[in-house]
Amino acid sequence: MIHFDNVTKVYVNQNRPALDHVSVDVDKGEFVFLVGPSGSGKSTFLRLVLKEERPNSGAIHVAGKDLARLSNFKVPHLRRRIGCVFQDFRLLPNKNVYENVAFALEVIGKPRRFIRKVVPEVVELVGLEGKAHRMPDELSGGEQQRVAMARAFVNRPMILLADEPTGNIDPATSIGIMKVLDRINRTGTTVVMATHDAAIVDSMRKRVVELEDGKIVRDQSRGVYGQAY
Amino acid sequence: MRANFIFSEVWIGLRRNLTMTIAVIVTVAIGMALLGIGLMINAQVGNMSNYWTDKVQLSAFLCKKNDPFEACKGRGAVSAQEKQALQAKIQSLPQVERVDFEGQQRAYENFKAAYSSNSVFLSAVKVEDMPESFRVKLKDPNDYKAVFDVLSGSPGVSNVVNDQQLLDKFFGLMGKLRTAALIVALIQVFAAILLIGNTVRLSAYNRRRETGIMRLVGASNLYIQLPFVMEGTIAGLVGGVISAVMLMFAKIVLFDGMKQYFVLSTQLGWSEVAQVITLTTVVGVLICVLASFVTLRRYLRV
Repeated sequence: MIHFDNVTKVYVNQNRPALDHVSVDVDKGEFVFLVGPSGSGKSTFLRLVLKEERPNSGAIHVAGKDLARLSNFKVPHLRRRIGCVFQDFRLLPNKNVYENVAFALEVIGKPRRFIRKVVPEVVELVGLEGKAHRMPDELSGGEQQRVAMARAFVNRPMILLADEPTGNIDPATSIGIMKVLDRINRTGTTVVMATHDAAIVDSMRKRVVELEDGKIVRDQSRGVYGQAY
Repeated sequence: MRANFIFSEVWIGLRRNLTMTIAVIVTVAIGMALLGIGLMINAQVGNMSNYWTDKVQLSAFLCKKNDPFEACKGRGAVSAQEKQALQAKIQSLPQVERVDFEGQQRAYENFKAAYSSNSVFLSAVKVEDMPESFRVKLKDPNDYKAVFDVLSGSPGVSNVVNDQQLLDKFFGLMGKLRTAALIVALIQVFAAILLIGNTVRLSAYNRRRETGIMRLVGASNLYIQLPFVMEGTIAGLVGGVISAVMLMFAKIVLFDGMKQYFVLSTQLGWSEVAQVITLTTVVGVLICVLASFVTLRRYLRV
């Protein structure tokens, strides 16, 4: 599903590479934690998958497509198959829960009837039934992140990228978020989650890829956060 | 493509940027109105020079009884013999294509037609006041000097008028007005482009959250950019409509009003005004669309 082959990324005006000869394979339906300290290259990895950045060398395949050969014109179609969740939720403050989720479908031109049918289903999936008409500032951080996950998942992407989704949320609420991510993963969606949260990684017992200074230092199935060298 | 979604985005954008939008509309309206006035002056001058090219002539006015002109002092009206001799003499000049005699009655008719709107003039002037004249058509209107000299030296000729010189003055004035209008129009177009650039930049900044999410969920470039371009288009269109109203006003007040002061002989028609309005509106909208696109490429990475 995601295939990195010897990928190096150096940002302009920087000497040290953000990713240094990284090779990794993520299969369809997998759940992968991307761990490592700040600046280790986790976010760069996610940006490369979305083709927001281009690698300096190496090949990236996402959902069977060689990103180097993918024209800019087709990048939006790639992104429709990838859902994204961030630490800062990125909701539209002037739209309610339903409208925030529906927005993702409206802007890719889905018919209204389809939106009316699908959005309530997804709002329920993330556990926000009955709150569809709340505004984001009336919701807790955990609930806002659920809205963001509903928006990321509403178009049934093949891949869900989560960049520190629990970073702004207290541990108790984080468990609920992880349950939703797990539920999404069980529908067959590949999930890649970058995180600092050791407790979560340890409790989930999923594959862990650890980055340090842009290099993969550990790739362990059913791993934990910070040990096992 | 969801048209009502795009339109609601456009509406939100226009409302958020109301002051800038108004500035764009006013600038486009003034710029396009001036461009239109320049084009209308052009059409008017074109019409008139077509009309006058085969009419331009030298007029040699003949002495009447008690004529106050210097050349007529101490002599009476021109006799029939003298007229015949003069006509033959003019006819024999190599530069002359044709010469016509205009009697008092015909001169009065022409005068009446030219000043039909001015009743004070008409009632004050009688047939006997009109001078007789020879209307000399030249082979080349620019080659008037020799004929002019011969005519003014001939006995019985009170004065000689070269229509070309009168027209040149008028066309020169019109030409200056046109140039001035077009220069100001150009400055306005430049200002409009800068304003639209700023408006789009503000608009893109205001909506950076929305566009960021649109990018993320895979909205196509067209979908992301269209609301911004539509904002420019609508502002351009409204500006164009206002400029159209100004141009119609200009036609009625300026061009139709000019008739009272000049003998224009040809009138600027509504069909020409319609052409000018269409052209300026299209130019206005195009400028807005292009300016929006160019700034979008800079401020909205897609």
